[in-house]
Amino acid sequence: MPDLSAFADPGFLAVQCLNGLTQAMFLFLIASGLSLIFGVLGVLNFAHGSLYMLGAYLSYTIASWFVGSPATFWVALVLGSIGVALVGGIIESVFLRPVYRREELEQLLVTYALVLIISDLVKLAWGAENRSGSRPALLAGSVDIAGRDFPTYNLFVLAVGPLVALGLWLLLRRTQFGRLVRAAANDREMVGVVGVNVKGLFTGVFMLGAWLGGLGGGLAAPIGAIFPGMDVEIIVESFIVVVVGGMGSLGGTLLGALIIGQLNAFGILFFPRFAIVFVYVLMAVVLVIRPWGLLGRPVTRG
Amino acid sequence: MKRFTAVAGTVLSGLLILWSALPLPAQAQQEPIKIGVIYGLGGAAAPYTKPAITGHELAVDEINAKGGLLGRKLQLVIRDDQSKPDVGIREARDLILKEKVDFLMGVIHSGVALGISEVAKEYKKLYLNTIAKTAALTEEKGHRYVFRSASNTAIEGRAAAILMADKPFKRYAVIGPDYEYGHRMVDDFIGHLKTLKPGVQVVAEAWPKFGERDFTAHVNALLQAKPDMVYSSLWGGDAIAFVKQAKPYGFFTKTQYMNIAAADLDVVVPLGAETPEGIWGSSNYAFYHPDTPANREFVAKYKAKANDLPPAGAFFGYVGTYFLAEAIRKAKSADTEKVIDALEGLTIETPIGPLTMRAYDHQATKGQYWGRLKRVPEFPFPIMGDVQLIGGEKTLRPVDEIKALRGAK
Repeated sequence: MPDLSAFADPGFLAVQCLNGLTQAMFLFLIASGLSLIFGVLGVLNFAHGSLYMLGAYLSYTIASWFVGSPATFWVALVLGSIGVALVGGIIESVFLRPVYRREELEQLLVTYALVLIISDLVKLAWGAENRSGSRPALLAGSVDIAGRDFPTYNLFVLAVGPLVALGLWLLLRRTQFGRLVRAAANDREMVGVVGVNVKGLFTGVFMLGAWLGGLGGGLAAPIGAIFPGMDVEIIVESFIVVVVGGMGSLGGTLLGALIIGQLNAFGILFFPRFAIVFVYVLMAVVLVIRPWGLLGRPVTRG
Repeated sequence: MKRFTAVAGTVLSGLLILWSALPLPAQAQQEPIKIGVIYGLGGAAAPYTKPAITGHELAVDEINAKGGLLGRKLQLVIRDDQSKPDVGIREARDLILKEKVDFLMGVIHSGVALGISEVAKEYKKLYLNTIAKTAALTEEKGHRYVFRSASNTAIEGRAAAILMADKPFKRYAVIGPDYEYGHRMVDDFIGHLKTLKPGVQVVAEAWPKFGERDFTAHVNALLQAKPDMVYSSLWGGDAIAFVKQAKPYGFFTKTQYMNIAAADLDVVVPLGAETPEGIWGSSNYAFYHPDTPANREFVAKYKAKANDLPPAGAFFGYVGTYFLAEAIRKAKSADTEKVIDALEGLTIETPIGPLTMRAYDHQATKGQYWGRLKRVPEFPFPIMGDVQLIGGEKTLRPVDEIKALRGAK
């Protein structure tokens, strides 16, 4: 059934590889927020998909305020993702702070409750209809890749992904904030004892994670549908990326996203009828071979 | 004397008990006819089911304003099935046993519809499906208690095949969401097209999951097979995302594209000016076609109630309610068995003209509208040009074939 002649076509392969990379960049942007929050705060944030959805809706609405201006998309992307970061700050300080010392199951319940609350609020604010944003004129067209059309917008996403990855790396490795974050990830009590404002640090980390989710939503808004159920799919996919890469490891998240992107892009050529199962098979294999993920570290929790 | 009083007392209280047990005609008339309405109210289903409920309410308001049916008012009891079969089954049971509804209506999710259909059979309640499309519901899994006022996957697939039978395309590629509905829409299209036009080939297929965000790998793979025509059973957000993502690949200049939901309002409105002109789009209902007094009146009434144009869901809710109401009127009773007899073969007037509930399989003769999308100055979104209605008996699967399907089960 698979038409293997496609593999002899370098133009096709190049574009398919870029398609997989673009998908990987989306997955990385969104899942890195989930991974960061888990790595530092120890909370598996089910509401991360809701923050992604919120990013899409906010960007859509802000863009509608500036229709006609060439800066529409950029302003919407920046303000929308910052808006999500602010919402993240409220979520962390109001809902999560009281449950850090509770059991993980209770934390999960809180974030699950947030999923339901945000879903209903979104429906109240924006209604149930499908919506969609617009690409900026600059990125609406396509470029020639080996004789084929490739969307300029996807090239832009391909640039944003590595930039964000680099930025995160610099932030965590080269700044005082990053040092404290890494220290807190290892031993939050000790960091508190030496006089660091752990509360503020955690709020900052959660806002950064929320911003990443919101940015992913803002980038997805112009090339997909914005609707009240878009939070569900993405949280499952992000979770798989993080599990495959290793919980709490940003490098692992990037690797996981890259593998899943290519797996999806080339898997469908062999088994179009099994497009849905590739990632689950991958996750199962990784969980059997390295239960802590590709780049994660085996953790023994008390 | 004392004894007489005792006897009289006994007789009197006996009479009282008997009397209270008898249904009081005056009291019975005031009791409403209760209709349980079940839909998935969240997620991707919401753009269809919210207007559907408004459609049900519009019909019930109209009927009640004219005095109701058999001197009784209609009352809707609305439940959310969360698009999950187990929740739908639980809600259906609850509506029957606790709410004591007389009839069940609604459902968009095919899996939920099949589940509720079994509940209806078990409790001998009439269930009229209004949106869910899987043909199985009225074909191999059909029974006395299940009806459908919407079209089904067989009708929509066959209608698309009839549309394409005289077109020059030979090499087809197909793409659809990977679940019951997506597969059936493709299978019925390709199956019927091959009988109408031998020599048609399927050169590529793509089965993204429902709710896929990234179609680009599929776009590239479909183009690689160099099809003349790509048939798509994507709907809702998927239909929007596919068009948006495929466009910069030059998809719509390199191949023809037909999509069963491309003319639905919940797809064309968000796509707006980004809709590629000339793609073949279909819809279950169009507010602009047919341009008849009946349809214009329905559009005006819906606008007055919902302050919006009626999408397909609104039409389905409205017409489903009237099918049931007209059957109750014809049966002169709200008794399930009598209403079923009345509903079999019933023809009613709807905003788009007469529709008939075929007696054998309880499937309405609801056809499909097709046209090539074009921009018009009146609306900020494209509409179907030269709209064709492909409907009536020829789009329904022949009774003999359904008999064979039911026998083969």
